[in-house]
Amino acid sequence: MHDMTQEDLAQKIGVTRQTILAIEKGKYVPSLDLAFRIARHFDVNIEEVFTYEKEGRTIEID
Amino acid sequence: MKKNIFYLLSGCIALALLAIFWYSVEINKPLLIEISFILGIVIIYIARRNVTDLIEDERSAKITEKAALRTFQVFWVVFCAFSISAVMQILHVPSFPRNRTFEHIPNSPPAILEIMPPRMMGYIQLGLLCLMIFLYVEFRLYYARKYGDWETDEE
Repeated sequence: MHDMTQEDLAQKIGVTRQTILAIEKGKYVPSLDLAFRIARHFDVNIEEVFTYEKEGRTIEID
Repeated sequence: MKKNIFYLLSGCIALALLAIFWYSVEINKPLLIEISFILGIVIIYIARRNVTDLIEDERSAKITEKAALRTFQVFWVVFCAFSISAVMQILHVPSFPRNRTFEHIPNSPPAILEIMPPRMMGYIQLGLLCLMIFLYVEFRLYYARKYGDWETDEE
């Protein structure tokens, strides 16, 4: 959907590429602030990027 | 300042501190290494603030925070447990009558001062402080792995 690399996204929202990767892999749960920044970057609601699960959280960035 | 220059500077400061340490031992002036150590750390802190290509985001901050907290939780217990014997020396527990009364009896427990002289206690405390650095590194590696520092993907 968005033709963007992890490095691009990381630079845009001011984190490292490893952080984006860790979020995608479910290794790291981002703060609310970072979650909103990611969602705003894609101009979507936060629920469209993150889904809450009881045993952790998943992120779906296309 | 670039990240690599900062690492180079840190290495140089560490080497300089090592040299100053030996020199202060040579001339028997501990104040020299104490002041140098503080100055060295201050220079490193100032230099780190001026590094432009070192991104510290919330994940790396969390790794640092968790590692520091766990290190502290383990370290203070070990350090305090050991330091209790130092406090006992200050309170002169070995000179309580028990030792004086029974010291003539064969196989009686030796006084604490004989087992662990104050200088040895200082060395052990110094060793524990050094151990704390290794403990921190271990915890840091653990949390870095936990929070996906070495994850790879298909990109």
